[in-house]
Amino acid sequence: MDLLITLAIIFLTTLLLLGFTIWQKRGGTVVLRPLAGTHALKGQMGQAIESGGRLHVTLGQGGLHTAASAASVAGLAVLDNLAAEGTISGAAPLVTVGEGTLLPAGMDSLERSLKRINPYLPLDANLVQFVAHESDNFAYAVGVASIMTQNRIVGNVLAGRFGAELAIIGEAGQRQEVEQVISTDDPVGLAVATAVTKHVLVGEEHLAAPAYVKGDVSQIASLQVQDVLRVAAALAVVAAAVYHLFSR
Amino acid sequence: MIKRGLPVTIAVVVGLITLLGLLLPASPLSGPGNSLMRWAAFLAAFALLLGVLNLFAVHLSRLFRGNLYSGVLAISMITVILLGFTDLLGLTSGGTAAAFDLVQVPLEAAFASLLAFFLLFAGFQMLRQRRGGWTFLFIATAIFILVSRAFSTATFLPASLLNLLEQVTTFLDQVVVTSGVRGLLIGVALGTITLTIRLLAGAERPYNQ
Repeated sequence: MDLLITLAIIFLTTLLLLGFTIWQKRGGTVVLRPLAGTHALKGQMGQAIESGGRLHVTLGQGGLHTAASAASVAGLAVLDNLAAEGTISGAAPLVTVGEGTLLPAGMDSLERSLKRINPYLPLDANLVQFVAHESDNFAYAVGVASIMTQNRIVGNVLAGRFGAELAIIGEAGQRQEVEQVISTDDPVGLAVATAVTKHVLVGEEHLAAPAYVKGDVSQIASLQVQDVLRVAAALAVVAAAVYHLFSR
Repeated sequence: MIKRGLPVTIAVVVGLITLLGLLLPASPLSGPGNSLMRWAAFLAAFALLLGVLNLFAVHLSRLFRGNLYSGVLAISMITVILLGFTDLLGLTSGGTAAAFDLVQVPLEAAFASLLAFFLLFAGFQMLRQRRGGWTFLFIATAIFILVSRAFSTATFLPASLLNLLEQVTTFLDQVVVTSGVRGLLIGVALGTITLTIRLLAGAERPYNQ
């Protein structure tokens, strides 16, 4: 039964994704609901370029081979856009990672952006730094805070999987009085993020961030699919609650 | 065309084999799926080694620029690696475990206890910078939970008051917080499903660039 439900969800999602993608390619227009966090995200790189400083982006401790891979892929997509914007103006962001598999992925993101401008431009290896392994939450947070302080950053973006330790990173950002954007799917991290900054992308908004900053047809179609599935899930929850209420 | 198409094809085929192997454990795809996951774990371990080398290289270059903290990190790293080798050769016993227990564990415990102060600082900053209804609700709830937990074993308070505090705390925890977290997790799960399908279709980064 579980298998059938899983297969049905995958099949239905694929079908909807395909349908909405085709609909958009045939001229269908989508108006995305405004997300304050994504506006701040778009403005971060511009502010860094204008002030002549460096933006710091940290991708958290969710690896590409773990259950947190979706959060990390969304974080990398955010980095792709910030890196593309920054390298054009000669201000590539400083990237820190808390998991091994994110290091080559982060380097690849910056290198792609550089290669678009000049294929022979080498990547400064110090721009992407591994801080600590995924099991050392506090070592990661303190390491990132220390890197932020030493590099005098002008903006701070946290996009990926973070837990309560992000309070330490957030505090370092507050001490430096820089604007911070926190985008994560972890409920504990979100609770802490709410206290640290007003620019927070909550849960599914973190996974939707790439669609807002890049706006690929398939990415926007996936937001439409999520809306449909969310309504279906809400109706299912209400139906189950009503059923249990009357079946007692 | 091949340069772009080949990695996408490999990724899509590998992803589908792994997914079907996981969904259908009795199928012939289960074996290859498990093998591919073991390869992924091996690659992740290698990536960690790459990360350690990156950390060492970055701090070595900073040491040459006069950063003494980076020197401490580099020396500590070399010392622990040497202890690992001497443990392996039988020259010392439990060297790395001792370094972990005497340095890493107390430091992490210290930071874990400091976390409460970091959160308190963030709460005060929030109250100073964003004075709105939601901020006051956030701070008031946090203070209420802290106070009710602190007085939960107090003997000088009447039992009826303690019982009321317990009921309100349980309601906030099990109804308000749990429903909020479940709502968030359902949203995240839906986002993860669509992202995974885009990945399997080769429509997500790095294949869509």
